Amino acid sequence: MCRRQLLNLMLIMGVLLTQTGCWSSFEIEDLSLYGGLALDEGEPTETEQDLNKQGGSYPRKNLITATIQIVPVNSFGSKSKSDKGHTAQYLNISETGDSLLEILRQYSVRLERMVIGHHLKVIIISTKLAQKQSMDQILDFVLRDNDIRPSCTVFLSEGKAMDVLEASRPGEVSAFRIQGMLRNHYRTSKVMKGVNLSQLDALMNSKRSFVLQNIISTKKDLEFAGAGIIKGETGNWIGSLDQPDVESISWIKGEVQGGAIKSYTEKNVPVIYEIKSMKSKMKAKVQGDDISFHVDIQSQGRFTENWDIKNDPSKAQFMEEAEKIFEKRLSQMIDSLMWKMQSKYKVDVAGFGECLSIQHPHVWKKVKDHWDEEFSQIPVTFDIKLKITDFGSSLK
Amino acid sequence: MISMWSQFVSYIPDWTTFMQAGLTLLIPIIICYSFRSLHSMIKEQNSTEKRALSTDSSGETSGSKLAGDYKSDVELIKQAIGNNCDVHFREFIMGGYEVGATLIFVAGMQAAEHINTQVLQILMMNAEKDSKDNKSLPSNSELSAYMKQKLLPVCEIKEVVDIRDLNQSILNGHIALFIEGMPNALVMSMPNEKTRSITEPTSEALIRGPRIGFTEVLSENTAILRRQGRTENLEMTMYEVGNYLKRNLVVAYMKDIVNLDLLEEVKQRISKMDMDYFAESGYVEQLIEDNILSPFQQGQNTERPDRVISALLEGRIAILLDGTPFALIVPVTFSMLLQSPEDYYERWIPGTLLRILRFFAAFMALMAPALYISFISFHPGLIPTELAISIIEARQGVPFPATIEGLILAISLEILREAGIRLPKPIGPAMGIVGGLIIGEASVQAGIVSPFLVIVVAFTAISSFSIPMFSAGITLRILRFVGMLFAGTLGMYGTVLFFLLICSHLTKLKSFGVPYVTPISPFRINDWKDLFLRAPLPLMKQRPDMMKTQQKKRRS
Amino acid sequence: MFIRSDDKISTSQTSIFLTNTVLGAGILTLPRSVTNVVQTPDAWISVLLGGVMIILLAILMVKLSQQFPSNTVFQYSKRIVGTIPAAVLCLLLIIYFIIIAGFEARVMAEVTLFYLLEGTPVWAIIISFIWVGAYLIFGGINSIARVYQIVFPISILILLLSYFLSVRIFDIDHLRPFLGEGILPVIKGLKSTILIFTGFEVIMNLVAHMQHPEQAVKAVVTGISIPIVLYLLTVVMVIGGLSTDGVLRSTWPTLDLLRSFEVAGLFFERFEFPFLVIWLMQMFCNFISFYFNASLGISQVFGLKAPSVFFGLMPLIFLTSMIPKRINDVFNLGDAIGVMGIIMFVLIPGMLSVIYIIRKKGLKQDV
Repeated sequence: MCRRQLLNLMLIMGVLLTQTGCWSSFEIEDLSLYGGLALDEGEPTETEQDLNKQGGSYPRKNLITATIQIVPVNSFGSKSKSDKGHTAQYLNISETGDSLLEILRQYSVRLERMVIGHHLKVIIISTKLAQKQSMDQILDFVLRDNDIRPSCTVFLSEGKAMDVLEASRPGEVSAFRIQGMLRNHYRTSKVMKGVNLSQLDALMNSKRSFVLQNIISTKKDLEFAGAGIIKGETGNWIGSLDQPDVESISWIKGEVQGGAIKSYTEKNVPVIYEIKSMKSKMKAKVQGDDISFHVDIQSQGRFTENWDIKNDPSKAQFMEEAEKIFEKRLSQMIDSLMWKMQSKYKVDVAGFGECLSIQHPHVWKKVKDHWDEEFSQIPVTFDIKLKITDFGSSLK
Repeated sequence: MISMWSQFVSYIPDWTTFMQAGLTLLIPIIICYSFRSLHSMIKEQNSTEKRALSTDSSGETSGSKLAGDYKSDVELIKQAIGNNCDVHFREFIMGGYEVGATLIFVAGMQAAEHINTQVLQILMMNAEKDSKDNKSLPSNSELSAYMKQKLLPVCEIKEVVDIRDLNQSILNGHIALFIEGMPNALVMSMPNEKTRSITEPTSEALIRGPRIGFTEVLSENTAILRRQGRTENLEMTMYEVGNYLKRNLVVAYMKDIVNLDLLEEVKQRISKMDMDYFAESGYVEQLIEDNILSPFQQGQNTERPDRVISALLEGRIAILLDGTPFALIVPVTFSMLLQSPEDYYERWIPGTLLRILRFFAAFMALMAPALYISFISFHPGLIPTELAISIIEARQGVPFPATIEGLILAISLEILREAGIRLPKPIGPAMGIVGGLIIGEASVQAGIVSPFLVIVVAFTAISSFSIPMFSAGITLRILRFVGMLFAGTLGMYGTVLFFLLICSHLTKLKSFGVPYVTPISPFRINDWKDLFLRAPLPLMKQRPDMMKTQQKKRRS
Repeated sequence: MFIRSDDKISTSQTSIFLTNTVLGAGILTLPRSVTNVVQTPDAWISVLLGGVMIILLAILMVKLSQQFPSNTVFQYSKRIVGTIPAAVLCLLLIIYFIIIAGFEARVMAEVTLFYLLEGTPVWAIIISFIWVGAYLIFGGINSIARVYQIVFPISILILLLSYFLSVRIFDIDHLRPFLGEGILPVIKGLKSTILIFTGFEVIMNLVAHMQHPEQAVKAVVTGISIPIVLYLLTVVMVIGGLSTDGVLRSTWPTLDLLRSFEVAGLFFERFEFPFLVIWLMQMFCNFISFYFNASLGISQVFGLKAPSVFFGLMPLIFLTSMIPKRINDVFNLGDAIGVMGIIMFVLIPGMLSVIYIIRKKGLKQDV
């Protein structure tokens, strides 16, 4: 009797072990990780057009072309230790369609390994696409998906986004390179703090306008260049800011962690101010229905480079003169940004709205819905104080 | 109303769910039932055996007495044990008195030299001198007293009249002396048991600490314990165990420290043990443990007297069996398995560091392959990107899924380890080279396993060797395979379930009433000084709370 | 006594028992559910106030239970209101516990399915969970409390570490303005914060199992303060990291917080992994708690043997957990449990105390 029970038990165990095992198990080497995702206007690539001609098509609208960057390129048996590094490190593959999920699944009819998004690091959206579709629509899948982590960073590209993924030096994966370049934020404020998906989600939900870092690329190289503005109400791209504008936003927001201000003396030779520390204080003033802002920017820095060899930077007098020059330069930069924000694009991307919402939540509630328009009428004053505290290791 | 009803109906699960619910109930019941029957089977067998043996022992007679007649007595003995080739009957004439005498002994169990000088020489020659003063031999009853007091310079000597006793003592290595006219036999002991000299314990090597280990002789072992320090509170109680071949067993404890309920429980369990022969203290361990089905040991075996003594001072009880150098310490808790006496001999900072290292190693030994499998086959998204990419590159062309791959390597490692123990010492290292280097390297080259897994498995193996208790290491290695199966089925979730299952089992497990995972839980903050941390000695003022000792304080 | 056979737990074990009972599924969704009602970053004040209210309620329960030493609510309710009404009340409480147990198992399965085991059938996850739980429950309240003691420090450690690391995306501006719209939204949020503390009713059973029932108040205060602090921390860190707008858009905001950053250099680049591990363990504790209390109730009310009740509840809990058809149903069930919790409170400790006081003080009866 006991033996029969044991037999039963073994039978059940056997069934459990053989039938249940590994529902969700996929060996890691049978998967394709993609590190970058580029989203362009729908325009089938040449390969795709060829494939379509031979019947590889399905009903769809060509709204969006998604390119993924698969790392590492792993084809069975091709790897031998000696030629590592010579082969391309990644594989870019594009598909066109009107649903991101469908596109991603469509890769399964072209690749032997399923693609997973757990290791997606950067998403690059072409400004052309962002102009037509709202960011909310474009990124809806990415935000909803369980594979893609909200930690991945979103960029814009004024050229074709897929070219950005293509542009890299040999032995380098451009998605990871872009990810790494973000860390240079503390070297120069031309590199913005990356905006990741969860921040983007919050920004889109709050209907605030915001900026995303812009990437430009050539065949061989790529670079961070300014930023693109996304209008909060529509979620569309409306225009670009250049590199000094991006720096100015950092100055206003007080996010500058490093960098330099270059200006010219009367002799038209460059002098450089290296930022050591900075502080920015924004204050919203409300008088009746009138809102105004005052921004107080203070910074300490070093005289790092001086082409004006006649003047001695270690002299206090010259320092004070130079401070004036730099302050002027900075206020020019900021004015240019303010003009772009208030007159050209009529958006607020420098955190004035946030400041108002914190300091005067009741006023904010009234103007919240049409803040961008409201903002273009609001006077903003700046008070900039730069202080040169030292002049480096050379006295002359 | 109807719509509400239909809505309600829509929420009733379909029949497959009910089937699954049935399965949910059925399988545990079957498992529980079969475990119970297994348990009762073991119990039943134990009890039937006992009944059979008890009838057997009652049939034995208590033995007859010697008749008192020299010739017939010797004949009687000859009949009983004379068939053995190694029992010698040395007959001689006692010098001076000219009476016959017989010396009976087993060859090889005494020092022949001592028999010659201390018995034969005296009786055959020195007695002659003595006889000049006395002329005649004392009468029957005084003879044995005379022999003991005047003639034989042997410290252990007694008179025996019971034949069975006599036979047993002869066979155990005593010398029996019959003299014409003496009604009883004199039994002397001049043991020359060939024993191993006291050496360093090989199974528990230390860098710093006494180099002394137990031997196979019980009396020596108890003496070693006594020699650890002078106290009148170290009490040792002797038990005779084994139904067929009898052996001595000693229960040692500090009588003013040990908890009396615990002592009572231990003594009770020892007296209930029922086995024809106790070959090693492992028999005792298995017969007195609380839970037979648990993979965890419930008695700690050790060769080190210093370990035993410090356990006794904590209020534990040691069980020593004749014929084995391994003493048992009960009750045991999980943390003890990861402690080494060296923790206390070194200063507290290195001691603490080693403790933490061992806990980490134990965790790794248990979990590392399971974690590897769940990461590789289930959750590629939970590991860092760089690592994921290098693993993918390393695993190109590996034909097996991670679970199978892991099992292959782990099992071959176990075989290797087992083979290494059995091999003669000079070949052992060669084995390590063949197994570890050649097979490992070749299998990676051949693409059967990935180099990353080799690292994981090797790390696991080394971790399990770093556990000071050999038997605890085995437990963890067995459980590791279970963990791999869990991970292979349900990934990370399975691994978490496995961990919870182990926790549940450990908390349910008790060793002589002490919860196995004390002092982690039940939480005894005072005992935490000696858990992950090895607190400085001045801080360890108290004996462990969990032992509920009679004396709490370690210091006066 | 060296070998103890009684099932009593110490004061600290009671605290941890309570903590592990209360700290459960809520930690993943709490920031969203509270912010949804409050709509300002002041949600954390609601959590704090709600927690304090819960402590007061729990103390009331303890005071009532202390009048009947060594009796659980299933036993003493009989003495207050008579056998039949008490049976009805206890039955309600038992059903309440079973529903929570099923709910916890289901939420656990949903999250596991979504983030860890996509493709595994939901029954496989829930059944294995129930089995491991049942294995532990057979060890009685002592074993359960001991497992809690092992799991609890690990959970706390990793939880705090995760939050500590998420400081890198924490922005204090997300928590401002402080009381920008006054206290009213905070009060509104109280309702949803009270819901996350559901399950503290088990204290009415725990007091009976305490070694020192006179310390029950102390145990309750610590046992509920710990989850309050942790919930508070969760809300502060999640809103500070994701901002209210981000929280409102996220299904599992706490997980999203941990998925929003990567820690380069540490072995765990991704902290949702250790977090999910401890969360699973925490859910296990949570589940065990309700499973155990439900079976305790059934065996005491109907006089059944404990092991058969443990077995009997297994399929029942499984069916309960399978009732919700979509994730919305799961969340709705969670809200419903909160409402049930309030009703339970009104009925059981509330009504029972009133009747008890009337009978004792007013009618001078010996209860």
